[in-house]
Amino acid sequence: MFSEWLSRLRFAVFRKHRSEVDEELQFHIDRQIEANLAAGMSLPEARRQAAIAFGGRQRTREQCREAAPSWTMELVLRDLNFGLRGLLRNPGLAIVAVLTLAVAIGANSTIFSLLSQALLRALPVRDPQQLVVLNFAGATDGHTHSEGGDRPGHHYEFSYPMYRDLRDQNRALSGLIASAIYNAGATWQSHSEAVDTELVSGNYFEVLGVRPAVGRVFNAGDETAPGANAVVVLNFDYWRTHLAEAPVTGRPISINGVQFTILGVAAPGFRSAVWGRTPEIYVPLTMQKVIEPDWDYLADHHSYWITVAGRLKPGLNAEQASASMNPLFYALREQEFAGAKDRSANNKHHFVDASRLNLESGARGFSPIREDIRTPLIVIMGMVVLVIAMAVVNVASLLLVRAANRVREFSIRYAMGATPPQIVRQLLCEGMLLGLMGSALGLAIAPETLHLLIRWMQGRAGDVSAFAPTLDWRVFAFTAGAMLAGTVIFSLAPAVQFWNPRLADALKQQAANVPGGSLRFRRTCVALQIGFSLLLVVGAGMFVRTIQNLRNTDPGFATDHLLAFHLVPELAGYPGPQVAPVEQRVLDSISGLPGIRSVGATNDSDLVGEGRGGDVYVSGYTPKPDENFDAELPWVSEGYLQTMGVPLVAGRLFNTSDSANSLKTAVVNESFARHFFARPQDILGHHFGRPDRPKTDAVIIGIVRDVKHTSLRDPVQPTCYTLFQQGERPTGLTVYVRTWQPPDTAASSIRAAVANIDSKLIVDDLSTMTDQIDQQIMPERTIALLATIFGLVAALLAGIGLYGILAYSTAQRTREIGIRMALGARRGSVVGLILRETLVLAGIAVGLTIPVAFLATWAVRSQLYGVSLADPMAYAAGILVIAAVATIAGFIPARRAAGVDPSSALRMD
Amino acid sequence: MPPSTDLLQGTLDMLILRAIASEPQHGWAIAQRIQQVSNNILQIGQGSLYPALHRLEYKGWIKAEWGASENNRKARYYSLTRTGRKQLDTEMENWTRLAGAINVVLQEI
Repeated sequence: MFSEWLSRLRFAVFRKHRSEVDEELQFHIDRQIEANLAAGMSLPEARRQAAIAFGGRQRTREQCREAAPSWTMELVLRDLNFGLRGLLRNPGLAIVAVLTLAVAIGANSTIFSLLSQALLRALPVRDPQQLVVLNFAGATDGHTHSEGGDRPGHHYEFSYPMYRDLRDQNRALSGLIASAIYNAGATWQSHSEAVDTELVSGNYFEVLGVRPAVGRVFNAGDETAPGANAVVVLNFDYWRTHLAEAPVTGRPISINGVQFTILGVAAPGFRSAVWGRTPEIYVPLTMQKVIEPDWDYLADHHSYWITVAGRLKPGLNAEQASASMNPLFYALREQEFAGAKDRSANNKHHFVDASRLNLESGARGFSPIREDIRTPLIVIMGMVVLVIAMAVVNVASLLLVRAANRVREFSIRYAMGATPPQIVRQLLCEGMLLGLMGSALGLAIAPETLHLLIRWMQGRAGDVSAFAPTLDWRVFAFTAGAMLAGTVIFSLAPAVQFWNPRLADALKQQAANVPGGSLRFRRTCVALQIGFSLLLVVGAGMFVRTIQNLRNTDPGFATDHLLAFHLVPELAGYPGPQVAPVEQRVLDSISGLPGIRSVGATNDSDLVGEGRGGDVYVSGYTPKPDENFDAELPWVSEGYLQTMGVPLVAGRLFNTSDSANSLKTAVVNESFARHFFARPQDILGHHFGRPDRPKTDAVIIGIVRDVKHTSLRDPVQPTCYTLFQQGERPTGLTVYVRTWQPPDTAASSIRAAVANIDSKLIVDDLSTMTDQIDQQIMPERTIALLATIFGLVAALLAGIGLYGILAYSTAQRTREIGIRMALGARRGSVVGLILRETLVLAGIAVGLTIPVAFLATWAVRSQLYGVSLADPMAYAAGILVIAAVATIAGFIPARRAAGVDPSSALRMD
Repeated sequence: MPPSTDLLQGTLDMLILRAIASEPQHGWAIAQRIQQVSNNILQIGQGSLYPALHRLEYKGWIKAEWGASENNRKARYYSLTRTGRKQLDTEMENWTRLAGAINVVLQEI
């Protein structure tokens, strides 16, 4: 029984050996000959009769083979082999088609993997659909620390007391978590670096359902009295890349100079409840004073600094929970108002009556940066769709050209006895092979592309990225499947003619005349390709112009030979009163270095999209009712304005006589002065300050020219500079160093000088100003880079498509060209004939596309800067590229056509 | 030569199985045997005999072994497997029932 199964298994894969069959058949014939001899025939007669009785030997052999179970497989292999040979007969075309498919599949999978992570995918936590993000309407008075994402009626930052009351008193949520992100200095085994630190509530990991990878994560008990529980949980990626997966549980790590104990490592893949945050370590909220020593947030009802999310109780939806929680929120706001300074009816209206708690679905997590990157990602996605459309059209037209060239081959094969199913099977195999090879190549390049793209978008090497380099398999499967289907369908095109009853005629005519309809179709294909590529090339031009404009925007100060780094002595454990002195020592020692022109510092980095500001008063000016004037309020060092090269308009700049203990002074820019006084100079000598903060009062001693401060895109803000030594509290600084030297040399001497003062001080993010600006315009640069790549790919595809059709149509016209030349046409005029046709086609396509390009540019105008929608440069460049591509694509077949020997062309049929 | 009768679909397999039921036989002998027993009415063409033999072997109903023929030549002998024997029983039963029924119909109507 067992051997029976074994033999059946064997036969399923192999068939009987050929010689075995031959021997068996031979025996049969010999036996028949013997029988015939025995019946009295002569030997030749006996042989003849035996052979007649047996019939066709080869046919029997074949029938024996066909009886084998492995026959079907053999057929498939044979078809595949045949298909491969068919493709190899024209390898150039096959390679182009495979590459086209691979680019389309790879690009789509890569970009959509990023898009879905940012916009669609749920957080990697337990039951993300139960999560809600909290925000509220109602006035906030006091200090707000915002990451962005707020909009009128939706403040996402809560105070810690409010969070605690909501968490403990609500009845709609099974858990409410809070978190905030800060920068801190971590020292692990005598190596110090700045790390993104997420302050989280004790129940954070429990409510999200994030498990530890090593040791344990926080539980509700870790949220203790302020400052009492110095424990930390590490992010998995940070632990892997920065700590080399060292055993960490129970080990000490120094954070801002305070000893913390590592409890464990959070599960791989988890980053934060807020999408886009990339914390490297997690610390309990109650340790806020260590992470942000300048402030005391925990007990303050008017410091809004934590984002809050909750998990709905099973069976409740967000509206029901909101209805249940709003009375509680209202009551809490009333209590807060009782402690407010301004208890006017007007303020009560804004603070209490207008307050409302909103619960938004939070499966994807609250994310202030999602809105920022949504448009760039969608623009890129749009470009990918264009490239895919081009790829499909390109592969289709390539296959059709190929099909047309093979009419004769198939006619002959048909005439020789191939059945239509056999021919269809062969075509199917060719199409499948093309599609499969394209998908395989796409799969091979996609993860690497994804990796490169994430690396490129990442600020510093080794940072935890908000994007995980994992390919979205559904997208890949979908794209590859669609491309495969498209390829197979178009590769079947030649089979259509076998339903043509006039096949014999086609064969007789050498199948040279293709109906006009199909030529028109191919021309449409080429026109479409030219259109798509023009769109992409013009788009690329627009984005490249945008970066040029952003880079060349005059911020009001020179950005060359300028190095910048962050210096936050508190990250090295300096207590408040010692911060400003050590910062001054660093500035002094750097300015004493050889090759340094000047040094300046501010707590408000320039041109990196951040700002520190607030409302102000100026003595001698009465604000209009309901006036809401906010100014940028950077604290700077004495040499800052000189280092940045901000020109003085009136009065004086800070100088060495201004110190921590001297009279407090301030310098304002022209916009600031002009807001208060018609003649800007009038502001000199007046006092400036923050309402209700007497320590901020300072005399305005100078006016400087407006310079861009927050970002290159935003207009100039009214700004008031004060000295950091005279500030209310210690602050970290961004130090700017203007050098004569190459940046690398200066960088190492700066590091050495700082280490000389205290090796624990972290010189964070030391880079040139130009690099920092590049970093800030990263979305624009990413779009421009991808647009350029896609534009070039598109132009190349269009060129190939154009070449394909022209090569085919000129080959069809060999005879016509031969006649023309026999009648005296010169080679030049033949080339001109073909080229003219090409350029007319390209011209029509360009003409039709320009309005579309205009519309597309209008749709992405928010991503452009300083480029007119009809930017002549971008359009001219686009049209030039298309013209060049069309000329090259047309010239090759045109020259070949001109090389036709008239006599042989005429003799062809 | 008397006219050959086309075999009903599927009956060839049954005839082959029956021809080797008592003892192993090689291909030529199977054809001869069927021809003789049927008084030359059933003639089996080689073109259908060997593919059928191979098909049955692939199905696992019969097995083949090399052996010495009556005149001492190497020949391939086919014999029934256990599954083949069961299959033969079923087919013969079916056939008897079918043939009986057809006979009844032909005589009674």
